[in-house]
Amino acid sequence: MLEEALAEIRSAPDARALQQVRVAWLGRKGRVTERLKTLGGLAPEERRAAGAEINALKQALEQAFDEREHELEAAAVQAQLERERVDVTLPGLRPAAGAHHLLSQVMHKLTDVFRTLGYEVVVGPELEDDHHNFEALNFPPEHPARDTQDTFWTSDGRLLRTHTSPMQVRYMRDHRPPFKVVVPGKVFRNEAVDTTHEAQFHQLEALVVGERITMADMRGAIEAMAVALFGPGTRTRLQPTFFPFVEPGAEFAIWWTHPKTGKEEWLELGGCGMVHPNVFRAVGYEGVTGFAFGFGLERMAMVTYGVADIRDLYRGDVRVLRQFRGVA
Amino acid sequence: MRVPVGALAEMLGELPSVDEIVATLDGLGLPVDAVLELPGAPRGVLVADLIDVRPHPDADGLTVVRVRAGEREAEVVCGAPNARVGLRSAWVPPGTTLPALGQTIEAREVRGVRSEGMLASPRELGLFDHQGGLLVLGDDARAGSELADAWGPETVLELEITPNRADATGLLGVARDLAAKLLLSLRDPSRSETLDLGDPDVFDGLHVEVADPERCPRFTLRRIEGVRVGPSPVWLQRRVAAFGLRPRNNVVDVTNLVTFELGQPSHAYDVRALTGGVLQVRRARAEERLRTLGDDELALDPDDLVIATPERAADAAPGRLAAAAGSRAVGLAGVIGGAGDSVRDDTSDVALEVAHFDPVGVRRTARRHKLHTDAHYRFERGVDPALPERASARIAALLAEVAGGTPHTGVTVVGTVRAAPAIDFRPSRVAWLTTLEVSADTQRAMLERLGCHVTIVGDDAWSVAPPSWRVDLGIEEDLIEEVARLHGFEHIAATVPNLAFVPPAGDPTHRALRDALVENGFLETISYAFTGAAELAAARAPAASVVLTEPQGVERAVLRTALYPGLLAAARLNHAERDLALFEVGRVFGAEERERVALLLRGRRLVAPWRAGLEVDFFVAKGVLEQLAERFGAALELRPAAADHLHPHAAAEVLWDGRAVGQLGRVHPEVAAAFELGETFVAELELPLAVHAPALTPLPRQPFAERDLAVIVPQGVTFAELRGALAAVAGPWLISLEPFDVYEGEQVGEGRRSLALRFRFRHAERSLADAEVEACMKEVMQAARAAGYTLRT
Repeated sequence: MLEEALAEIRSAPDARALQQVRVAWLGRKGRVTERLKTLGGLAPEERRAAGAEINALKQALEQAFDEREHELEAAAVQAQLERERVDVTLPGLRPAAGAHHLLSQVMHKLTDVFRTLGYEVVVGPELEDDHHNFEALNFPPEHPARDTQDTFWTSDGRLLRTHTSPMQVRYMRDHRPPFKVVVPGKVFRNEAVDTTHEAQFHQLEALVVGERITMADMRGAIEAMAVALFGPGTRTRLQPTFFPFVEPGAEFAIWWTHPKTGKEEWLELGGCGMVHPNVFRAVGYEGVTGFAFGFGLERMAMVTYGVADIRDLYRGDVRVLRQFRGVA
Repeated sequence: MRVPVGALAEMLGELPSVDEIVATLDGLGLPVDAVLELPGAPRGVLVADLIDVRPHPDADGLTVVRVRAGEREAEVVCGAPNARVGLRSAWVPPGTTLPALGQTIEAREVRGVRSEGMLASPRELGLFDHQGGLLVLGDDARAGSELADAWGPETVLELEITPNRADATGLLGVARDLAAKLLLSLRDPSRSETLDLGDPDVFDGLHVEVADPERCPRFTLRRIEGVRVGPSPVWLQRRVAAFGLRPRNNVVDVTNLVTFELGQPSHAYDVRALTGGVLQVRRARAEERLRTLGDDELALDPDDLVIATPERAADAAPGRLAAAAGSRAVGLAGVIGGAGDSVRDDTSDVALEVAHFDPVGVRRTARRHKLHTDAHYRFERGVDPALPERASARIAALLAEVAGGTPHTGVTVVGTVRAAPAIDFRPSRVAWLTTLEVSADTQRAMLERLGCHVTIVGDDAWSVAPPSWRVDLGIEEDLIEEVARLHGFEHIAATVPNLAFVPPAGDPTHRALRDALVENGFLETISYAFTGAAELAAARAPAASVVLTEPQGVERAVLRTALYPGLLAAARLNHAERDLALFEVGRVFGAEERERVALLLRGRRLVAPWRAGLEVDFFVAKGVLEQLAERFGAALELRPAAADHLHPHAAAEVLWDGRAVGQLGRVHPEVAAAFELGETFVAELELPLAVHAPALTPLPRQPFAERDLAVIVPQGVTFAELRGALAAVAGPWLISLEPFDVYEGEQVGEGRRSLALRFRFRHAERSLADAEVEACMKEVMQAARAAGYTLRT
């Protein structure tokens, strides 16, 4: 009897079948119950022995039922889990990953560096006038230096700023030294557009003015930036040049390893110099010195990230924009 | 500016290596852009005379030329227009390799005539860029000799000259800097002791009258007689070619040589073209015209300074000139000469003009007529005003040498040289500004080597008179730079200033905004500040108010008045991309310049290639702004508001903290169609968007009670209106009122919709009793009914 019952229990395929088996054996009319009912007709001695036997049988069956129940529960969980199986190799459902424009990344990388060095970040208008873009920066009218600026003029006599330097004038008019500022922003030159020249590009300009700011301070600032961008040991080079709004004026270059060619070389970045006394005069400063330097972001972005055609930066082709994800 | 190293050596003697010269010039602020190795004449090319020229029997335009090169004679087929008997030129015998052509010339048949090699143009020989005819050589070239023996290779440095260094537009200025830096002695060809400056007291038959001494402070005219115009000697052609010019004839080549050598432009007239030997320097008359050497017909402006000569001999008497209307312009002062008045092949007597003109006037004239000449380039920067007499003497001496001319003993000189004022200079300021330690003695020696005259006035007080050729030296800082330049910028240390300056915080580049959008899946674009009026119109953006005068094409002619047209154009460019989320932060130019952000959305926001994503609709777009506002701690509200570029019924004004900052909406289907787009959503907001620092609100201790109510309202009643009306009567405990379902359809009838609303109530200090909440809802329902709305149960 035990074997028969156990066989039925163990072969019950699911909880419902198991319940039926339970009823068939342990139910009110179950075979074990029926058997218990027969005990009454037995002699006391036999009854005790038979009762013990049936109880043992009953216990064995209860245990078997429990085990089977657990088995079936476990199987059900397994089955449920199986049904919940996912193909983890299918693509996820997601919003697209966004990206800062490469030039924004370069700009923010630089403003981060300068903020860390204690500079204030300021911005200014792109539509400027002759006074701020040229005259206050010591470009006299009809000076050949204006030729280097290829200016976009507007029909109402204004101009698109050719450099971020007009902000030197604006900032100095509104503030008193000492200060350290950087000005990132768009600038415009009316020159032929090709793979390395755009009519619109970005500059970053630094201006530091105090009681005695020296050319060595200027070199220190350029070097600090270079080290922050390109790592310790980065060298800088200054060579004399001319910008109307500085005297002395210089070009600066950074000795770096070209990421594409692996070649070490001078990367000529931009211009710098000591603020020209005429610029200080134009903003009413006396008894101070200062330096300014500035450079183009596109060039830095292009050489750093291997952009071959500057126009790719402005087309808005998302196949290009997407590649800027996480560059910084 | 091209600097032949050979020419430098003539002025400086022994020179260091080319690499060292380049490094020195770079360090002096005369950066070398390129080092050019100009080839000499190819080996094997012989100087030869053309002794017979006859037409090719079987080809128009070709000639058969007999050449004689010393002992050798040969016949060559030639196509050059200047092949004529008596011409001395270069013969390329068979077997000679011409690198410029990349080929070896062999004897061959040309239309049935055997050609023994070829006669070559300067370009074919690789000498200079001219292929309009054969190389023309002078008597100095010996027929039969190898041209390469006289015309060897030359190293040329291509210098970038900054606008301040007028002196370095001549070789002499470059040599002066090198001499000062490398402690070399300088041989200045304009200061040769053999030069004859001419005697101003001797009358040579030429008269000059300067009517505008402001614009022409100095004018010299020198007569050189008996000039034979012809080809320049090889050394001169080679030198002129090394400067990047095309050799013309000996007179022109000499004036060009001196322009590049000394930086002093000049002009040679045929004396016959000067009526009565008279030249006048005056302003142009209105409607006066001039045909230039470059063969342009210029309409002159009264601001133009011209060189003129009387129309009639009767007007040529001295003293009558200024009054005479009857003079005609023969040149544009300091810019370009006139056609027909200059030296011709048969010129014998030359009147040589070497003058000084006001830089600003020359620049105005050159710009007005869009002329770029070697003369104007130098004059507008500032030629040494003390140079004309010596440069004239140098030219005269060269014309005597290469053209057989005889300079007249007289010279006409008008005007005086004004010396530039001396500069007050404190040698201590060099260290103050640059930190370079240069002793006062060394500084003085440096300044003197550069041509300055130093007078010690007192302790740390010098008076420094700059040389006439350094028109860029005007203030103390200029002299500091001179000292620093000669000492070497490489010695400047790197220090950090100790400044008492604390930068204020702030986000002027809108970085938080950009970060939020990028995290939300947007790609940042940067488009052009300039655009086309047509694109603005197609996008229904405000018409441009700022117009460029010289744009790069009509598509870049005006400044943008909105950012979204640039995003629409980007969306059009990216037509293959189903899903787009773009933004741009930039400036727009209406009545005033404003900074804005614009967003564009189309396609899906949540995407998997194998599953339907979340299609962008108005509310997806709005959600972007809501998220932004939440992040910035600002209140966002949208109000229905029409905008030209937006769908009339899916357009809203955006209020940020209650302030109208822009629009959000679906692009008007007509605008979308103009950009070849489907359903697209754009927003454009003024920057900066207010940001509020978060402050922690204590968490509520009491539970809230929640009640739902569906209200059927006519279409046109907005959720905001309904909420406003109901919240006003819902009592003080209402903490939120949100829609949880919006239904339109049969069950509520045409022209109506059902808004299912969820109300939450909370008392700050205690639990609310059911009855209290019910009382509030009763007020709400009454108000809804009173407004004529149906309640749905």
